[in-house]
Amino acid sequence: MRLSFSGKAITGILAVVPANERLFADEMANFNFSAARSRKLAEVMGYDRHRIVAGPVCSSDLAVAGLEHLFLQGQLAREEIDALIVVTQSPDYLMPGTSKVVHGRLGLHHDVFCLDVNQGCAGFLVGLMEGFMLLDQPAIRKVVLINVDVLSRKVSPRDRNSYPLIGDAATVTIIERSVDARPIEASIKMDGARREALIIPAGGFRRPSDALTAEMVEDADGNFRAPDNLKMDGSAVFNFVMTEVPTLIDDLLIDTDTAVERVDAFLCHQPNRFMLNKLADKLGVAYERMPSNVVEKFGNSSGVTIPLVTTLNYSERLTSETMYVCMSGFGAGLTWGAMLMDLGPLKFCETIDFEEDE
Amino acid sequence: MEDFLIEMAEILEEDSVRESDELNGFESWDSLAALSVIAMADEKFGVNATAQDLKGAETVGDLYALIQAKNAA
Repeated sequence: MRLSFSGKAITGILAVVPANERLFADEMANFNFSAARSRKLAEVMGYDRHRIVAGPVCSSDLAVAGLEHLFLQGQLAREEIDALIVVTQSPDYLMPGTSKVVHGRLGLHHDVFCLDVNQGCAGFLVGLMEGFMLLDQPAIRKVVLINVDVLSRKVSPRDRNSYPLIGDAATVTIIERSVDARPIEASIKMDGARREALIIPAGGFRRPSDALTAEMVEDADGNFRAPDNLKMDGSAVFNFVMTEVPTLIDDLLIDTDTAVERVDAFLCHQPNRFMLNKLADKLGVAYERMPSNVVEKFGNSSGVTIPLVTTLNYSERLTSETMYVCMSGFGAGLTWGAMLMDLGPLKFCETIDFEEDE
Repeated sequence: MEDFLIEMAEILEEDSVRESDELNGFESWDSLAALSVIAMADEKFGVNATAQDLKGAETVGDLYALIQAKNAA
């Protein structure tokens, strides 16, 4: 589906990452594979270290820490927030939504449109789309988009498919109207028929958690996980990304008459370095214009990765100039999309650490 | 074929491999190696193979036949 938005802009991005860092080298022993094969995997995929919460940290904890930082720095005021969108797959509760939890913990006023969106690795794009649509309402001048996940808590430490790459993080993105902004062009597609490629099978109403859903089972590849854990069909996801994503981005570039060289940076979801390099090859984009360094340092934090790759790589540039960027997210749903837009100059574009209480 | 065997040797971390070599005979034949074959098939031969396709292959030669068949299709 092709979508266009006019008169909207991102004005600031803040990323919050857990201070707790784990090294792949220390976790290798948990996997049912030889050290040599694990090292090979790390080299190809770009695994080195990742940031995950150490204790029972929840999505609202990271979100509140980010917003309080912005209040303290004078980058945002409580009373300015007209809408609060929280995109997460790891909510504090099944009910109420995490946007309400954040709203309550921050003591925001009652004229706030709070919305939860259950989206994975395309969650930044879907959140932006929702935010742009809300800004068509005159009463809504400032939208706070929060992308957050603490999915490490749902991944089995003995699952080599997912554990080395998982990361926890949150981002706070401010979206506002901007009369002279160039149109934002986007494309998004969804395929629920492939919903089981990325799934947490138990814990919802379809299969409530019980003693049985907590039991670890070995799969054909030697990974151990329980139905309560996140399950990724790695090769199905790889094939999905290689076949669907380049076509979607190409079509959007053609449809908007945009030459690949005109795009300053491709800010893509960060599954692993291998897939991103393959994606860059297919699109004919030089690796330095499609950064792939999030997984090796922080891990894959689902819908948070696009704003995170932005704060980590372009913080200086984006606080002083405008870049023409192509963002692309792809994952659970399945959902895949891309967005072409001017980004910057931003009021803030930074990454902070989240310290857990001892 | 020769190019293919060189690529396969690299993926399987061997000096050289033969068509008749059994895939399961290599310690390095795992899901990562399979992924590398899929990527190589795409890059070098323009063939879109899936992990499911690869499951039927028993030897290095079977993989080559699979890629050729897909290429012709």
